[in-house]
Amino acid sequence: MIVLDPNGEKLNLMALNVGPTHPATHHCVRLLAALDGETIVAGVHEIGFMHRGFEKMVERGTWQQALPYTDRLNYCSAMMNNIAFVRTVEKMFDIEIPERAKVLRVIVNELSRINDHFICVAAAFQDLGGTTPFMYAFNPREEIMLIWEKLTGARLTNSYARIGGMYRDTYNGFEEDVLAACTSVEKALKDLHACLDRNRIFLDRTVGIGKISKERAISYGWTGPVLRATGVASDLRKDEPYYDYETYDFEVVVGTQGDANDRLQVRLAEIEESVKIVRQALKRLAPGPIDIVDPRIRVPNHKLAYQDMEGLIGRFKSVYEGIRVPEGEFYCGTECANGELGFTIVSDGSGHPYRIKARSPSFAHVSAFAELVEGLTMADSMAILPGLNMIAGELDR
Amino acid sequence: MKNEAEKPNFITSSLDFIVNWGRTNSLWPFPYGTACCAIEFMSTEVGRYDLSRIGSEYVRFTPRQSDVLLVSGTITYKQAPILQRMYEQMAEPKWVIAMGACASSGGFYDCYCTVPGIDHIIPVDVYIGGCPSRPEAFFDAMFDLQKKIKDESYMKMRTQRVKEQWELIKAKTAEAKAAAKEAAQSKITEVKDFVVEKEQKLIKTAQFWKD
Amino acid sequence: MENVENIVSLLEEKFGAQRDASAKWDACVVVAKENLHAVVEFLKNDCAVKFDMLLDAAGIDYLTYPNHEGPRFAVSYAFKSMETAGARIRLKVLVSEADLKVPSVADLYASANWLEREVYDQFGILFEGHPDLRRILNHVEFVGHPLRKDYPAHKRQWLSTSDYLVPELEKVLESKGYKVIERSEEVDPVDEEFLEGSIKA
Repeated sequence: MIVLDPNGEKLNLMALNVGPTHPATHHCVRLLAALDGETIVAGVHEIGFMHRGFEKMVERGTWQQALPYTDRLNYCSAMMNNIAFVRTVEKMFDIEIPERAKVLRVIVNELSRINDHFICVAAAFQDLGGTTPFMYAFNPREEIMLIWEKLTGARLTNSYARIGGMYRDTYNGFEEDVLAACTSVEKALKDLHACLDRNRIFLDRTVGIGKISKERAISYGWTGPVLRATGVASDLRKDEPYYDYETYDFEVVVGTQGDANDRLQVRLAEIEESVKIVRQALKRLAPGPIDIVDPRIRVPNHKLAYQDMEGLIGRFKSVYEGIRVPEGEFYCGTECANGELGFTIVSDGSGHPYRIKARSPSFAHVSAFAELVEGLTMADSMAILPGLNMIAGELDR
Repeated sequence: MKNEAEKPNFITSSLDFIVNWGRTNSLWPFPYGTACCAIEFMSTEVGRYDLSRIGSEYVRFTPRQSDVLLVSGTITYKQAPILQRMYEQMAEPKWVIAMGACASSGGFYDCYCTVPGIDHIIPVDVYIGGCPSRPEAFFDAMFDLQKKIKDESYMKMRTQRVKEQWELIKAKTAEAKAAAKEAAQSKITEVKDFVVEKEQKLIKTAQFWKD
Repeated sequence: MENVENIVSLLEEKFGAQRDASAKWDACVVVAKENLHAVVEFLKNDCAVKFDMLLDAAGIDYLTYPNHEGPRFAVSYAFKSMETAGARIRLKVLVSEADLKVPSVADLYASANWLEREVYDQFGILFEGHPDLRRILNHVEFVGHPLRKDYPAHKRQWLSTSDYLVPELEKVLESKGYKVIERSEEVDPVDEEFLEGSIKA
């Protein structure tokens, strides 16, 4: 299209469509950019290619049946979403879960965070043309996946948390497996840093690219690692501690510039902190119950159901009618791998959720994409996108 | 020796064998990964599972250079026209794998926005179950696809295609002929009319001079 | 939190807001539609605790809610303060079916742009003063608003072609001071025979 620029000069712009079928847009973002040469003058982006009706689907089932759907919000760290949802509902019940469940949730949370960050960094490298770090990042990831398989039975979408406890206790040798995974995570981190820190091509393509100021990032509602990359030390684990996060010794990683490189570096540094938390949590993992004892909330186990009348009724009721969450409305946010995952829950006191609205971090991050790419070249825009870590399931829900 | 060479089947089956052998062992996938299954596909590609063992390590993100369209993840109505376009852009021969419950049947997203299985929009060769499917299941599907390709006959497909094209050409030529005939017919009638008119004019002038 | 409690009572005084009875676990106030923009502006700029992040805007449809009285829809805004850790507040606006308009806060928060578009898409609530109010998650040819309780979950709607984004791009260019003289020849991907023979559920 031919346009007059603000100075009155004639420009011949090209409208170029990128995505959703593009390796870097991951089939979930479409960008229509007006290009002057190779510079993006303005851009419009569109999402919704993966809108699969999370909010409509959960209204149709019981509260427990909403859990598998939360898994598939951010499928790279499925269990964190479970835990975020379950935590919100537990707060509505005003219940406190047993100590062992808390510690177990912390371990699972942090291992999921490691998984998620590895995928993000790996995909960012892959999109910029680096295949080696992709392979490095996936090795420890596979090791953690093996732990998930033993622990929950599934590789990716685990549904491990339950309202009022966990699905089941750990297996024999869980601690050793996690420790071994931690060691290999640290080794992979070393390898990744060797690939990343002094890689001329990588640095040229990411340093100073896609900068955003603190104020703008906050206005866009950015949370999590991408906000911390701009220099805001905001972490719900420290600000509004849950599951005794305040007693663990870890740092909030903060970036300096808020560019594409910082967003990846913050993630790598966070993996280190997560390993620290996992090691501390493993020491606290004392034997004990993992479920609360309340047949109205947590389904009684088989043993109780077969031997005890109360247990049988509790099991029957909670499976067929669903647990009854107290009537009311509530918003609660949890620090997930990508940022604050919040659930606005409206309960009418029945066994089915009346309305669950997921506040996904990716949605806020990607909304700034068109502003970030303005004035940059086409190739830069593809270096920015993976650092925002848009996960389609969470972005469009 | 001469008789052996004259048998037509000998060469056909050999060519099939060679072509299919080449095709089965270098299936280049086009990962149309939208959701969770794409992450599992990434796991399949690297390290522990290593997709390159069956010659499929070359992941192409363009439909023009790939053989297998690997739909991994939910396809929504917003995505459906794009997926169909991608399938149309792929060069023959092409195969489609529907990876995971969502691509095969819509999975547990039975909702206003999800396509209940990609076979509503494009043909599918192999379905994989699971939500998401495990890498082992994916390998199984690839082996199934390889078996399927081995059963295909290059020559048969080619003759089929030539036949179809021939039919098409015949139909088209018949159509063109009919059109030409019609045009000619109308021209003849036009000429006839013209001649008749002229004759009448001549008669009229003759009459005039007679008078 | 004490701070937030103070702010809630301040809002009650100043803007005639009401504490939401259904919010038992966090601070939530119901604001009149006309006051919404002023209240949000107050929360963002002049408040003792500055709520500088708009986290979420969630539409709610009370059609089948048992024993519900009052307007059918509501929009619930969740705010968070970056200065005071852990300070959160929710605002709720009630929207009746006869008047589906709510003032937009997109000029105050950049995140409001997409959040409001989503509420419009899913519930059909119109935001006055929104720069670019169109569908975001559902496709352009979608009829109706799927998260309303009277929209059947199985009602599927096929899309014939992808969205046409060029007018939006022109709008963005014009907002930057560019003036479009001549439109480029667009390859229109309209394909009328799309999805022929497919099973339309």
